Amino acid sequence: EGDVLCCMRRGLCIPTRAVCDAETIFALSSGHGRCGVAVVRVSGPASSMVLRNMAGLTQALPSPRTALLRRITDPQSKELLDRGLVLWFQGPHSFTGEDSAEFHIHGGPAVITAVLQALGSLEGVRPAEAGEFTRRAFHAGKLGLTEVEGLGDLIHAETEAQRRQALRQMDGELGRLYQDWGYRLKRCLAHVEAFIDFSEDELIEDGVLNQVDSSVRQLEAEIERHLKDERRGERLRSGVQVVIAGATNAGKSSLLNTLCQRPAAIVSPIAGTTRDIVETSLDIGGFPVLLSDTAGLRDSSDSVEREGVRRARQRVEQADLTLVVVDSTQLPPDPQLVPAFLQEHLSTVLPSPSPEAGMEAASDRVLLVLNKSDLVPEEQRERTEGELRESTGLPPACFLSCYTSTGLEDFLTVLQSRVKTLCGDPLSGAPSLTQARHRAHLQQSVQALIQYHQYRDQDLALAAEGVRLALTHLGRITGRVGAEEILDIIFRDFCIGK
Amino acid sequence: MLAQKLHLLRHNFLSFVSSRTGSDLTRRQYDVIVVGGGHAGTEAAAAAARLGAETLLITQKITTIGALSCNPSLGGVGKGQLVREVDALDGLCGRAGDWAGVHFSILNRSKGPAVWGPRAQLDRERYRQFIQSELLSTPRLTVLEGSVDELLVSQPNPEEPGHHRVTGIRLVDGSHPILSSSVVLTTGTFLSGSLFMGQTTSPGGRIGDVPSCAGLSYTLKETLGLRVGRLRTGTPPRIVKESVDLSLAQLQAPDKQPTPFSFLNTHTRCKPEEQLPCYLTHTTPGVETVVRESVHLNCHIQQDTKGPRYCPSIESRVLRFPGRRHQVWLEPEGLTSDLLYPQGLSMTMPPDLQLRLLREIPALHRAEIRTPGYGVQYDFVCPTQLTPSLQVKSTQGLFLAGQINGTTGYEEAAAQGLWAGVNAGRTALSLPPMALSRTQSYIGVLIDDLVGRGVTEPYRMFTSRAEFRTYLRPDNADLRLTPRGFEEVGCVTLRRYEKAVSVRDGLQEALMALQSVALSSTRWREKLGNISLSENKSTTLNGLDLLQYKDVSFEMLASAFPECLSPYFEYSQRLKIEAVYRPHCEKQSREMERIRREESLSLPSDMDYLSLPVSLSQEVREILDRVRPNTLGAATRLPGMTPAGIVQLLNYVLRTGQRNRHTEHRNQSSQKEGGKGQLCASNIPISQ
Repeated sequence: EGDVLCCMRRGLCIPTRAVCDAETIFALSSGHGRCGVAVVRVSGPASSMVLRNMAGLTQALPSPRTALLRRITDPQSKELLDRGLVLWFQGPHSFTGEDSAEFHIHGGPAVITAVLQALGSLEGVRPAEAGEFTRRAFHAGKLGLTEVEGLGDLIHAETEAQRRQALRQMDGELGRLYQDWGYRLKRCLAHVEAFIDFSEDELIEDGVLNQVDSSVRQLEAEIERHLKDERRGERLRSGVQVVIAGATNAGKSSLLNTLCQRPAAIVSPIAGTTRDIVETSLDIGGFPVLLSDTAGLRDSSDSVEREGVRRARQRVEQADLTLVVVDSTQLPPDPQLVPAFLQEHLSTVLPSPSPEAGMEAASDRVLLVLNKSDLVPEEQRERTEGELRESTGLPPACFLSCYTSTGLEDFLTVLQSRVKTLCGDPLSGAPSLTQARHRAHLQQSVQALIQYHQYRDQDLALAAEGVRLALTHLGRITGRVGAEEILDIIFRDFCIGK
Repeated sequence: MLAQKLHLLRHNFLSFVSSRTGSDLTRRQYDVIVVGGGHAGTEAAAAAARLGAETLLITQKITTIGALSCNPSLGGVGKGQLVREVDALDGLCGRAGDWAGVHFSILNRSKGPAVWGPRAQLDRERYRQFIQSELLSTPRLTVLEGSVDELLVSQPNPEEPGHHRVTGIRLVDGSHPILSSSVVLTTGTFLSGSLFMGQTTSPGGRIGDVPSCAGLSYTLKETLGLRVGRLRTGTPPRIVKESVDLSLAQLQAPDKQPTPFSFLNTHTRCKPEEQLPCYLTHTTPGVETVVRESVHLNCHIQQDTKGPRYCPSIESRVLRFPGRRHQVWLEPEGLTSDLLYPQGLSMTMPPDLQLRLLREIPALHRAEIRTPGYGVQYDFVCPTQLTPSLQVKSTQGLFLAGQINGTTGYEEAAAQGLWAGVNAGRTALSLPPMALSRTQSYIGVLIDDLVGRGVTEPYRMFTSRAEFRTYLRPDNADLRLTPRGFEEVGCVTLRRYEKAVSVRDGLQEALMALQSVALSSTRWREKLGNISLSENKSTTLNGLDLLQYKDVSFEMLASAFPECLSPYFEYSQRLKIEAVYRPHCEKQSREMERIRREESLSLPSDMDYLSLPVSLSQEVREILDRVRPNTLGAATRLPGMTPAGIVQLLNYVLRTGQRNRHTEHRNQSSQKEGGKGQLCASNIPISQ
C-alpha cells in the first residue's frame, strides 16, 4: 500500500505541463478469463515510440482514433506476438489527456502475457499503478466534478484489489523470495549507511563494505536468474478466488461437492471435519474459478483445528468472492429477525472491513447461502425470502439444499453472474499484469544495483544511492522502507557509541 | 572579518558585557524575547535581530552565553552540513567555529563530497568570546541576565488559529512583566531537569548553574496543556591533561590545510601549524568490570528514560555490546586549557568509580579527574505540537528550539534556533511565517522530521535521513540558501548575499564554459593523455561530461583549454563536485518537485476533521484530528493514511479554496517558484 501511496503522491500535484515528461504507463484494461479481445492501454510521452516499436510503424503514425490492423511484435526479439488492432490518440484528445495508444489483441493468457512483458521491457515504460490512468485524466482536467468525487472510491477499490492480489502472492513461495531479497537489501543499505554516517568515529569493521559488495553481487545474480527463469515461482494462481466459509457443520464441504459434482472434500456430519483448505479448480459459466473450502469457524481447543481456522480467515481475506454458508435451521423462526441475525453472523465470518469499505463494498464480494433449506417449512422460507428482499445492506441470499439440490439452479445463476462480473473487471488481479509489474520493478532494481558497483570506489554517496533506489523498486512489490527502519538495523548491528 | 573581531576583543570584555545588563534595561516592550543563551538561543536572537526585530535575549548568566556544555567540537557527518546551512543563512556557529577551531578535519574524505563532514575541535574560551562579542555588537539586540518565572499569555487573535497568544514574560525577581509579540524558548535541559551522579540526584540542567524554569514548566504543561516527554543525556568527566600518558594513545593529526566552515572565510584563525592533535585509545575488559560492579550504585543507568542509541554512556555501551573494545577519543579543550575531553566515556557512576574506570585504560592509568561526569534527565515538548515554522500550534507567538524539542547536539540546536528566530521575528513584524523544504536543506529535513513524526529518543542528524543527500551537499549550501535567505526570508546581510550571488554567477559561467568545449573522445584522449573513457571513439563529449570521470580534474581541462577555462580556477573543486552529481540530481528533480508541491499545499490548522463533509473513514478522521498535519505532504506520510483519504482531502481543500487562508508562506515559494506552485493548485480543474 505504501507503494500505491507513493505513486499517488507523485500523481497528485503535477501540473499539466509536468505530466508531459512523466513516465509512460500501460495496463490491461479489459478483464481476464475467457474473452475474445483484450485491450491494453498505453499512456504517456513514449506512447508513439511504443506504437512504432511494437506495431512496426516505421513511417507516420496512424491518424488519431482510427483502428489499424497490424502485426504486433516484440521490440527486442522481433518475434511475432499477435495480429491485432492498434489505435493512436494524440494528446490532449485522449482519456488521460496525454499521448495514448491502445492494442486490441486476442484474449488468450499467453498472448496477453507476452504483450505486457514486451511493453515492460521498453525504456521509460512501466506498468500502471492502481488508479493511475484515472488520476492522470483527473490532472489533465478530463474528469467532471462528479467523476472527481468518485475518484477516491475508485482508487480505494483498486488499492483493495491490489492488496488482495498482493496478499495471495506474499503467501506463497514467490512472496517469501521477494521478502528475503527485501530483507537482504535493507541490510546492505543499512551497512553502507552505517559506514557513511559512523565509520569516522566508530569501530565499524573495514570488512563491512566488502560484505556489502558480495551481498549486492549475489542479489543481483539471483534477481537476474529469476528474471531469466520463466518457470520458477511465477505461476500465479489464476482464476477468480471463491472461498466457502461459515460456521462448523453448516454444510460448506457439501456445497463444494455439489458444485464440483464429485466428492473432492470429505463430508461428514461431525462438526470440524475440514481442518485444512480444500482447493479445486472449476469452470463456472466458462470462467476459471479457484474454489476453496475452509475449516468451520469456531473457537477450538484442538491446535490443528485452530490452525485450520486461522488459514480459513486468511483465505477469506484474500478472496474475490466469499460464499458464506449458513445452516438455515439455525435462523430465527421469526422471519423479521433474520436480516439482523445474518448481519451479525456476517460480521463474525468476514474480516473486519478496512477503513473505507463499508458493508456495501463488502457485500459485492459476498453471497449468502442458506443451506439445508429442505429442513425449513416451505411457508417460513418464503416469508424469510420476502424479508431478505426488503432489507438493504445484506449481500444476496439464496436458499439451497445441497442434499436435495433444490434451489441449485437459482444459486448457480447468481454465482455465475457474479463470477462473470469479477472476470470482466480488470481489477480482480490479472496474473499476467502482476507478473509484468513485478518484472519491471525487478529489472529496475537490478539496474540500480549496477550503479552501486559503478560508483563503489569513486563515490560512496552515489553508490549508496544505487542501493537506495534498488530498495525503492523492490519496495514497490514488498512495501516501502523508511529511513527509521534503516537506522534501526544500524543500531542493532553496530555499537555506535560516540 | 577576522581582523575586525580581533580588534573587538581587545576591549575589556566583561565590562563591555555588563554595560548592557540589569538596570540599563529601559524598554519594557520588545518584538522578540529569546529565553536561553545556548546554541539555539544565540542563533535565534541573532536571526531575529538581523531580520529587523527589537530583540531581548534573557539568560541566567551572561558569562555562559555560547558555552560548549559538552564536547569541545563542532560539525561532523550530517552535523557539518547543518553548520554550513546555518552559515549560509548568516547564522553564527560557522564563523564561531572558524574563529575557535584548533583542529580541523573533513570526515568521510574518501566517501564522496555529498557526505563529507566538516568538523573542528574547538577552544571553549574562544568560542564563547566570539559568540558573546557577536551578540553584543548586533544592532537591535539586548542581552539581559535573569531567570524567567512565567510566560504571559492572553486570549488568541481570533483571525489566526490557536487557543492562546503569548504576550511576554515575567522574571523571577522583577515584578514588571516584559512584553513582546513573540517568545522563543530555548531552555535546553533545564525544563524540569535533574542531574544524576551515582546515587545522588539534584534538580538542575547543567552542573554549576542554578536550576530554573519551574514556573515555565508549569506554564507549558498546565496553562498551555502541551504534551511533554522525558529524555536523558550525559557528559564525561574532564581529565587533567598532564596526568595522561599520551604516548600510550594513538595520535590523530588534523588536516594539513584547515577548511573553514563559513562561506565568508577563506582561512581559519588557527594557522595550519598551530593546530592541536587528538588521541585515540580503547577500553579494556577492566572497564567492563567496573561498569558491571557499579550498576547498583548508578541511578541514571537504572532508569528507563529514553537515551540516545548513538552517543550512549559507556555504561550502556558496555551493557549492550559486551566483550568488545570501544573507542575513546581524547580531545583538546583549547589552546591554553590543561584538560582533555574523553569522547565516548560519558558516565554517571559515583566519582570514585569514575576514576577507577578511567585508570583501567592504559593511557589513563594515572589519570586525574577535574570534574566528574554526570547524567541529566529533562522534559521535552513533543514537537508534533509545532508547525514547520517551529511555532507552538496552540499558542500564537510562542516558538521552541533546541533540546526542548527533543533533539541532541549543538548543530541541531543552532539550526532550529536560527529558524525559530527568523519566524519569531517575522511574526513580530507581521510577516507570514515560513517553512524550509526537506528537498532544499538538512534544516528542512530536521524540522520536518520533528514536527511531522515526533521523537522517541534524542534526535540527531544523519545523512541517511535526507532523501536528497546528493543534492543537499556541504559545498552548495550557499547556493541553496543564501539568495533566498536574503530575498525572501530577510535573515541574510547584503554583504553575504552579494558574495553568494557572485559565486553563483561565476559557477554558472564556468559550467557554460565547460559545456562549450566539446571534442570526440579520441581527441580528448590525445589532449589529456591516458585517461579511461568508456564512450566509443566517435562520441562527442563536452568538458562537463568529461569532468564526471574519476581521474579527470578541472585543472587538467583548464590546461588543455587555458584561454577558456583558466578564469575559473577558484571554483575548480566545486565544479568537479557539481559535474559528478549533476546527472543524479537531475534524475531526482521530479521527485523533489512532487514533495515540494505537496509541502506547499497547506491544510488549515483549524480544520474540523471529525465532521468534514467528505467520505473519510472514522479511523482516518481520528488520525488527522490527532496529528493535525500541516501540509498535504505531511498527511501522506502519516501511518494509517490511505491514498483514497488523501485524494478526498485534496479535493476538499481545493474545492473550498481554503488553501491560502492560513497558508504558511514557504521559503521556496519565491516569485518564480511560487508562481509555479500556485499554478499547480489552480491548474487542477475543480469547477466544470
